[in-house]
Amino acid sequence: MATRPEPAGVPGVPVDRSEVAARVRGWAPSLLRTLIALVATAAIFSALIAALGVNPADALTAFWEGAAGNTFNFGQTVMIASLLACTGLAAAIPFQARLWNVGGEGQLWFGAFAAVTLALILPDGMPGWLAITITVAGATLAGAFWGFIPGILKATVNANEVITCLMLVFIGIALGNYAISTLFPSESNQTESVPFDRLLPNIWTGTLVTAGALLALGAVLVALTLMSGTSLGFQIRAVGLNRNAARISGMRTGRVIVLAFAIGGAFGGLAGAIAVLGINGAVVAGFSANFGFLGIAVALVARLKPLWIIPSALLFAALRTGSSGLQAQTGISATVGEILVTVLVVLLLALGVIRLRYAEAAQ
Amino acid sequence: MILTDVVSLGVALMIPMLWAAYGETLMEKAGVLNVGIEGVMLIGAFSAALGVSTAGSIYVGLGFAIGAGVLCGIVLALLYVRLGTDQIVTGIMFNIFAFGLTTTLAVEFVRATEVTSFPRFEIPGLAEIPFFGEVLFDHNILVYAAFLAAPLVFYVLHRTWYGLYARACSEYPRAAEAAGLDVWHLRYIAVIGGCVLTSIGGVALFASSGGFVSGLTDGRGFIALAIVILARWNPYWIVGASLLFGVSEALQFQADRLGPLGDVPPDILVMIPYIVTILAVVLARASRYPPAVGVPYRPSAKAS
Repeated sequence: MATRPEPAGVPGVPVDRSEVAARVRGWAPSLLRTLIALVATAAIFSALIAALGVNPADALTAFWEGAAGNTFNFGQTVMIASLLACTGLAAAIPFQARLWNVGGEGQLWFGAFAAVTLALILPDGMPGWLAITITVAGATLAGAFWGFIPGILKATVNANEVITCLMLVFIGIALGNYAISTLFPSESNQTESVPFDRLLPNIWTGTLVTAGALLALGAVLVALTLMSGTSLGFQIRAVGLNRNAARISGMRTGRVIVLAFAIGGAFGGLAGAIAVLGINGAVVAGFSANFGFLGIAVALVARLKPLWIIPSALLFAALRTGSSGLQAQTGISATVGEILVTVLVVLLLALGVIRLRYAEAAQ
Repeated sequence: MILTDVVSLGVALMIPMLWAAYGETLMEKAGVLNVGIEGVMLIGAFSAALGVSTAGSIYVGLGFAIGAGVLCGIVLALLYVRLGTDQIVTGIMFNIFAFGLTTTLAVEFVRATEVTSFPRFEIPGLAEIPFFGEVLFDHNILVYAAFLAAPLVFYVLHRTWYGLYARACSEYPRAAEAAGLDVWHLRYIAVIGGCVLTSIGGVALFASSGGFVSGLTDGRGFIALAIVILARWNPYWIVGASLLFGVSEALQFQADRLGPLGDVPPDILVMIPYIVTILAVVLARASRYPPAVGVPYRPSAKAS
């Protein structure tokens, strides 16, 4: 397997020609493998669609129609991408420290639970902007708390974070259902609706795009600053590269582990606030179509880089809304979107396009 | 008798997790961590539902699930072992894949039917014993098989050449290879065998829930991951640990008979097994994975 040479180059020193060529040679196989993965995914998906009795060409049209066929549908894609960008960050930042925060789904649900609770219990006379601010901040903190739990358990008793994160997913979903069934029941299968003046405002007429998209964008910028402009970001990456070396060089690794988890969780909680205040206006039963888990896919395809989260989230959001379009046109369940996404990501992993950096392996 | 009812239900509910935990033990004892356990279970449950819908027999469903388990095993062995992709990330992706696949296909192919479970079978004589008779000897065949599987799994892992070699792969694969073993082949066997057992867990779940719905497993596979840690990879202890989770799950169904628990909303009671799992992982802090679990192995002989 060809390895990509590290991009060399000192500021101010012209890069050697042969080095550029080496870099291109390093990139080309990776690009080729990406293409192979895309083609193979398309082939597998077409075969599945055909097996379900739908012409793949029709399916493609329906898919495009659902994802970006008109302004309204594209707006939906943008909103789903906002959620996925936040849950993507929820995975990406702890992953950089080689901590497996696979609990983005739970952080999303708990954030949504906190958001709907705050938005409905804050006193009536409060101005809308203040209520929104408190709600968004509260949901973010709630998500951070949901990330803090596996983090502190990892740092103190070395509890397996994969298991604790996954259990918190199910507890978070149960809390959401509790809000729906008992705390704020309504006629339909959702909580009471949040009052109109406490919802995030619409920013694009003709679509349902709200300020939630801007919040997601802001989250990406915050993550970018954190990871490449602060010492905490540096420490997170150092812990990911080699935990022992980080500890020996004087970093308090336990603190970094807890913070990485809590920060990741905060982004997951923000996704919950966007879902409640910016998309649904309530906690709706089953509102998250695995958005928290798909965030992991988003983060991987973005190679854990905050800026790349944006195109990656848009791609996966388009696959999601496209699947909804497919469902509307053909009756195939929109969950085929999950198949599409995971086949693509697993192929990218299998072909070595997505590689997770490892410190010295155990052997 | 309320205790009898809770424990008896707990025994019935622990069975899916028990099978899955056996499967996970086989794999981890060969050095492979299968976070995709939930997905394999879900596919097993779906296959059972498919067998029942198409052939009207749960035994055909069991056959389908074993076949599906082999298929899952081949795919996962290829990824985890041959290609050496990260096992946690691949496992999570496999779970979402299984969720998407089974939900999509269930809409098209699974029909509600009357036959959904194995016939209940009382063991003559033993079923008469007070308490234990009702708790242990009045179940279906998959339950008895699950208990009998514990010594079998133990035997395979600790009394056969395969078990010895496989365990070497989870402890120090480089040494296993130096001793002339093929680490990849030993792990392939473990992954495929483990997936079959996990898939049977899915059948047991389908049989005890009376029908297939999207996302039927609801974290039971993940709980099995915790059971394995808590029981320290010992099949006998796994039976005990599974019972703990079976009973914690049974509490929610018997809550209205348990005094104060009856006033707690069902959506909160649902959390009990998950909270117990977190506590279990915290309490099992001294329990360490075999050192090579989760680390893909690149044989020196096959290194490219």
